Amino acid sequence: MHKISTRQIYFFLAAIAPVGKIMLMPTQLAFFSKNDLLFPAVMNYFLQAGAVFLALLFASKNRTFYDALADTVGKAAAKIIVCLLALFFLYASILPLLEQKLYVQKTLYDTLPSPVTFFPFFLLSAYLCAKPIASLGRLWDILLPVSVVGYAGIMALSVSNADFGALMPVGISGAEGIFGGFAYSLSWFFDSALILALAGKFEYRKGMAWKGMLFYLAGGAAIVFFLAVFYGVYSDIALQQTFAFSEISKYFSGITVLGRIDYFFSFALVFVILFYGSLPLHAGVECVCNAFGDKRYLRIVLSVVVNVGLLVCVYLLNFKLYVTLQTVTKMLFWIFPVFCVLLPALCLLLKRRKHETAA
Amino acid sequence: MKTISGKLEQDIAELKKMLPAEDILTFSFVSGEKLPFTVIFADPVTDKELLGEQVIRPLLHYAGKPSAKEVGKNITAPELRSEKTFDKLSAEILAGNPVLLWEGADEGLIVGTKKVFVRAIAEPPTDVTIKGPREGFIEDIKINSSLVRRRLKNPNLRIEMMQVGKQSETYVAVCFLEGITPQETVDAVKEKLQAIQIDVVADSSYLVHFLKDRKYSLMKQVGSTEKPDIFCAKIAEGRVGILVDGSPIALTVPYLLVEDFQACEDYYVPAARATFTRLLRIFALLVAIYLPAFYIAAQLFKLQLFPIKLLQTISGSIREIPLSPSLEMLLVLLVLEVLNEASIRMPKYVGMALSVVGALVLGETAVSAGFVSTPAIIIIAFSGIGLYAVPNLIEQTSVVRLAMLLAAGSVGTYGILLLTAFLLFKLVTAESFGAPLLSPFSPVIPHDMRDSLVKYNMGSLKTRPKTLKSKNKRRMKDA
Repeated sequence: MHKISTRQIYFFLAAIAPVGKIMLMPTQLAFFSKNDLLFPAVMNYFLQAGAVFLALLFASKNRTFYDALADTVGKAAAKIIVCLLALFFLYASILPLLEQKLYVQKTLYDTLPSPVTFFPFFLLSAYLCAKPIASLGRLWDILLPVSVVGYAGIMALSVSNADFGALMPVGISGAEGIFGGFAYSLSWFFDSALILALAGKFEYRKGMAWKGMLFYLAGGAAIVFFLAVFYGVYSDIALQQTFAFSEISKYFSGITVLGRIDYFFSFALVFVILFYGSLPLHAGVECVCNAFGDKRYLRIVLSVVVNVGLLVCVYLLNFKLYVTLQTVTKMLFWIFPVFCVLLPALCLLLKRRKHETAA
Repeated sequence: MKTISGKLEQDIAELKKMLPAEDILTFSFVSGEKLPFTVIFADPVTDKELLGEQVIRPLLHYAGKPSAKEVGKNITAPELRSEKTFDKLSAEILAGNPVLLWEGADEGLIVGTKKVFVRAIAEPPTDVTIKGPREGFIEDIKINSSLVRRRLKNPNLRIEMMQVGKQSETYVAVCFLEGITPQETVDAVKEKLQAIQIDVVADSSYLVHFLKDRKYSLMKQVGSTEKPDIFCAKIAEGRVGILVDGSPIALTVPYLLVEDFQACEDYYVPAARATFTRLLRIFALLVAIYLPAFYIAAQLFKLQLFPIKLLQTISGSIREIPLSPSLEMLLVLLVLEVLNEASIRMPKYVGMALSVVGALVLGETAVSAGFVSTPAIIIIAFSGIGLYAVPNLIEQTSVVRLAMLLAAGSVGTYGILLLTAFLLFKLVTAESFGAPLLSPFSPVIPHDMRDSLVKYNMGSLKTRPKTLKSKNKRRMKDA
């Protein structure tokens, strides 16, 4: 399989990564930040953009995360660290998977379907995980227009119903609200860790770190605009509006005549989310395969094990969604900055040490 | 390998031993100088009149040396070769080319007097055009090669012949433009063709399986056409063309999915019109695949997908239907497929009656009997028509439509999305002779998008598609 191109990485950062943040995050952010969504979201985006910058800078060595680690800390230690990163990816995937499951149950059916309905996702995910992660590059070429059309369609239908006056004044919830919102929405920001897993799978070009960061911020701007429209439409009841992206445009006047055409735009976004949801699992499998030799059977076994494990996990957590959300977003939120901010920064240190040794 | 001995009786006996069939005949005659000659030929495929005129009559007064060179000078047939081995001589006899032997012959002479049974060159039924050339390939490889050669009067056009099929020994021509087509593509095609171990090649479709990179994939990986103008245009872009004796369908590789959304007429009408029709084709195809599936998903799992007035109409018409929506749709789809299959195989005069029975009697009666609902019939009819907007993909799209229907009936919209995601992943990772199937969309090649779903003016298509990695990039000079 060919390497991922620079353009495809930009597409991922600008149009695929942001889509994962429009399911439950707006509602959670509204809840934790006491309806003061702007500052926490912007802070998170700037922090993560910086981490993406660091991760891309690390990727400039054109080596995999494991190879870079093994050169510095030795193979055994590198394997342990890579396995920890893989475990983090499994942990990070719980939230997107539960979001997706809840979305499927709530929005795609008139009545509550059986939990089994969601399980075919794991077939797709297992199939994707069994392929080298570089094969996703071409997929992102196609997902970019899908994502843009879905987002633009929803925004076009809903922006006219937003009362932007409701956004003011900004920062009224104070430091508690802002920092609470910032901390408890960190669980949705693990894109820099994904870039670490992709390192060595794409050719680094000069200036890519800066450009990648700007593309990520461009995607972030789209999400901030979505949050503005979201709060503009729902105002104080925003914190109750889960999966707003598929409901926010239903107030458009043409819907009564045309039916829920807005669903087709939200389906486009869900289509992108299908791939984004399986990406942490894929990244986990890829990391382990890099560390233990990229053998076909190992990849297949790992992808089956990981997906079956997550399937069981999702099934067991079926009626414990609220507790899980609380645990991932409120109690264990600190895990995310460790792997998504600290680790990319440490990777740069490793690289510098190796450079000095070589010199 | 055995070679001819020069003893006529012995050589004839050897050939007869190799070709014991009853339709392999011999004709012996003696020249003016008492030199005995014998012609061995396959009766059904040899033009005996030409054989008499061009070979036997001139040799009746032959008085020269018994060497192939001298004898050949007296034969008036334009296609003449000499061979020593019995294997090659017998193969030529079976191909319809008689072999001439005589006492003291150093080589046997092969005379090209094959009897050619061909139908007239006509417009292919699978690719009808309103504006543009109307000729199509026929079953004879020589005539097909001449149709190609007539359009590409270029010394760099290579038509390399080979034989495929252990029993049929079918002629296969690999056509490409030297200096334009990448040599690695040509080599890859030849290698795959030479590796084929099959008894009979009845049609070019037999070769498709062997040319595919993913043997068991549903996806199309080899292009096909019945029109010489399309075939030549593809070769001129840097593809390799394959002609098969006995088949009017020519193959082209590498294949890109976008090819099937391009009709030859697009190049003979204004660019704006071509773009509109291409977009219309993709819309029709999407409707054909997804409309029945979304209808089922909406009816079973999410009624909100219907506008309220349409929902009232639909609920009125399905109230008395005894079958579940998915079963009803599957039944109507099955009837459509059966009608389609029957109408293709039926003689034309019965076809009309079949349409009346199928469309009017069956459809009308089924609705009035309350067996199926009107919306189901409308949707399947719409889907059936949409499928034919891209006729070259029918084999694939009809299967995908059925799979979508099953996914929608079991899991609903989510099933449709998951299946689409799976198919998309398969498509983006598929390649045909090194060219990504979804190019120029994945990977994005902006240059090649000028002739994809959007068609630019001819003046903007100065260079060949980058996807095909042609050696000579430019095909048009600046005006």
